[in-house]
Amino acid sequence: MKNMKEIDIPIEASVEQSRTNPLARVFDELVRFCRSRSMFMLHYCTGCGAIELPPAMTSRFDMERLGIQPMVTPRQADILLITGYVSIKTLKRVILTYEQMGSPKYVIGICSCTVNGGMYWQSYATAKQLDQYLPVDLYIAGCMPRPEAVLEGMRKLMDRIRSGEADGWKDYYRRYDWYLGNQQHLFGDDWQTPADVIGEASHYDLAGSGTEGEHTHLLQQCQKPLEPQQTFFQIGGSLEVKGESHE
Amino acid sequence: MRPENYQAISHPPSNEYELNFGPNHPGIEGNYALKVKLHGDVVVAARADGGYLHRGFEKLMEGRLWIQNIALVPRICVPDPVPMEVCYSMAVEALNDMEVPERAQWLRVLQLELSRIAAHLFTFGGHAATTGMYTTMYWGVADRDQILDLFEEWTGGRVYHIYNIPGGVRRDIPAGFLDRVSHTMDYIESRLPDYDNLFFTNQVFVDRARDTGPMNQQQALEWGVTGPNLRATGLAFDVRRDDPYLVYDQIDFDIPTEAPGDAWARTLVRRQELKQSIHIVRQVVEKLPSVSGPVRTQIPNPLAWNVPAGETYTRVESSKGELGYYVVSDGGDKPYRVHIRGPSSMHAVQVLEQLAVGARLEDVAQIMFSLDACPPEVDR
Amino acid sequence: MSKTVTPWLDNLLQEIEGIEIRRKDSRRVRIDIAADSLPTLLELLRGRAGYVHLSAITCVDWIDESQFELVYQLWSYESQSLVSAHIRIARDPGVYVSVFDLYQPAAFFERDIHEMFGVYFEGSPDMSKFILTEWNGPPPMRKEFDAEAWVNETFERKEYQPDWLKEITEQGGGIVKSPEEARQKKP
Repeated sequence: MKNMKEIDIPIEASVEQSRTNPLARVFDELVRFCRSRSMFMLHYCTGCGAIELPPAMTSRFDMERLGIQPMVTPRQADILLITGYVSIKTLKRVILTYEQMGSPKYVIGICSCTVNGGMYWQSYATAKQLDQYLPVDLYIAGCMPRPEAVLEGMRKLMDRIRSGEADGWKDYYRRYDWYLGNQQHLFGDDWQTPADVIGEASHYDLAGSGTEGEHTHLLQQCQKPLEPQQTFFQIGGSLEVKGESHE
Repeated sequence: MRPENYQAISHPPSNEYELNFGPNHPGIEGNYALKVKLHGDVVVAARADGGYLHRGFEKLMEGRLWIQNIALVPRICVPDPVPMEVCYSMAVEALNDMEVPERAQWLRVLQLELSRIAAHLFTFGGHAATTGMYTTMYWGVADRDQILDLFEEWTGGRVYHIYNIPGGVRRDIPAGFLDRVSHTMDYIESRLPDYDNLFFTNQVFVDRARDTGPMNQQQALEWGVTGPNLRATGLAFDVRRDDPYLVYDQIDFDIPTEAPGDAWARTLVRRQELKQSIHIVRQVVEKLPSVSGPVRTQIPNPLAWNVPAGETYTRVESSKGELGYYVVSDGGDKPYRVHIRGPSSMHAVQVLEQLAVGARLEDVAQIMFSLDACPPEVDR
Repeated sequence: MSKTVTPWLDNLLQEIEGIEIRRKDSRRVRIDIAADSLPTLLELLRGRAGYVHLSAITCVDWIDESQFELVYQLWSYESQSLVSAHIRIARDPGVYVSVFDLYQPAAFFERDIHEMFGVYFEGSPDMSKFILTEWNGPPPMRKEFDAEAWVNETFERKEYQPDWLKEITEQGGGIVKSPEEARQKKP
């Protein structure tokens, strides 16, 4: 099998460089059009806003006519829907999931809680601003937003993909150090994920001055080799979850 | 970093595997996880892992005014939020020794039963989807929307209504609303034979659900099972009838039971409850025009409302089972302590852990849906 | 089937010392009892009076009296009545015995109280964390833990300063008192 780094994946980043082929612009346009018309959103219900997604997806509002379908695995999904508040425990899983998704990927924050904590502003268990930990392309406000609002938000995202404005995933590579710093602030200094974000950033040619910094150095210092997860099933024992990064 | 760091996890030399089932898994209801130990594809042990939806409601409520908490409580169980409002309001009323006007009580019953129908339709959809029958899911969710439309007209909110307040309800029903309720009930009742043909008597479903996750009445009582899950083991117990609240003692309804106690029986009980709820709604629609009067009693200034010191335990029958609120007041303007006993805190943890053992992996999701476990109630 | 708490229950309970029974209404009975006698009471209620359903165990933190109150809600399917048994235990060290051998649902509630209040139940099958597996702070439901202060310390908030609000503020209107100030004024 070929090494990952040798596979040449055409990406949007090259648009900014000078293109020699006169058809390049047309081709990019076509790629973006196709991307905006076939979006798979990850089937992950993080909070209460998820209750309005089944109506949005099924017969009455029927999101499928816009080319949006639920997808069960992160690696094949394009959209990560954060449907409402994220507890700190969920946020870890959300970040792991996000880093597993293939670029280009988009994050939509649904409900007021993702913007500023919403009605759980004094809760010790939920993270307050989602865009400190993940690059959010679009917010859909409301508590909770109606299916029409979800559809409207999806159409907006489609427009932004077509115009090339939805590039939060690039921001994650460019300012990885800042995002990682916020994550470390919340989860502790030994926070790590199995994804090699810096390597991916340089692969996509998106590594910049903000990609590496003090926080990524801390990550490299604290990084431990992945170990098999400890067993959960000890008779009379406790549910030890060690090595969270495996999940 | 990855190539150097990456180590293949060495598997034990047996057919036993440990698997993270959730939280990001299409078969799991909500944001919840199970750690399952498998032998081949048969579950030999399961451990529930919750807390993904934890918001610390009990702490939040201690920091807010009595009236502010009304907006908070429906979030505890998203598919069936009305019992939460009603139960909390009833607790505050009990602490204040407050009488609720009769019309408000009938309106609450109407809202509770509509919410029960909506929640059951949603559960059928989810349960059918775990057995691969997505059409039922599409139908169930679309028919549930009919009820959400009623709620929207009535209260302004599709999912969260914030309609019940201590002392009654916020406002009366709009003109001509009861006709539309009857019409929707007729529609849903006319759909039931279709659901029977599509789902409840479908051989695929019957074969999958029969003998899946069975429990007998003895076990159910031991494990603290309540609600439709308990009635599926043959015990006709319903808080609405046996510990009546509101005006349920004036309403005529049956308590459907089934004997086998498996996933199939649990679903059939819900199917019959749907019919009973429609029956109750019709009675309320008939009765409401003859009950006149205010829809709420006078309450003190809610922003400076000191509830007398005391404690109370109120419970209602939600669509998932017995829902209880233990509320303590120390005479202040905020609750001193609120404890929420969600029915799923039994079903989704201990019962699911027990019932999953011996089932095949593909049935775990079905067992969870047949128990109608609602993770936000567990995590609170 | 009797709809009230049976009178012989009262006689039965008189066997236990230090017990105070208060009848709230025909279906609700409140029992205050010394912490040592609770297992005996529960055994009597379960074995001889049919209170087989443990509806909930609640912990209340009475910080001023440095006590925890534990409330056991028991329901009888036969007499259709609810008994709530109240005990007080010392806040420090906060240890009590588990009633899991009588009531299996106790396992969940005891585990929950353990992680939320830090009360340890001896003999409970599982005292490991369930909800707060990734929480390193103190047990959050204790009264001395100030969640709001912790949140303000840990998280930043987005400032909401739209142009229209700025204009109004310049003219002397808008939000003149910040929510923090408004809250401080309250006693």
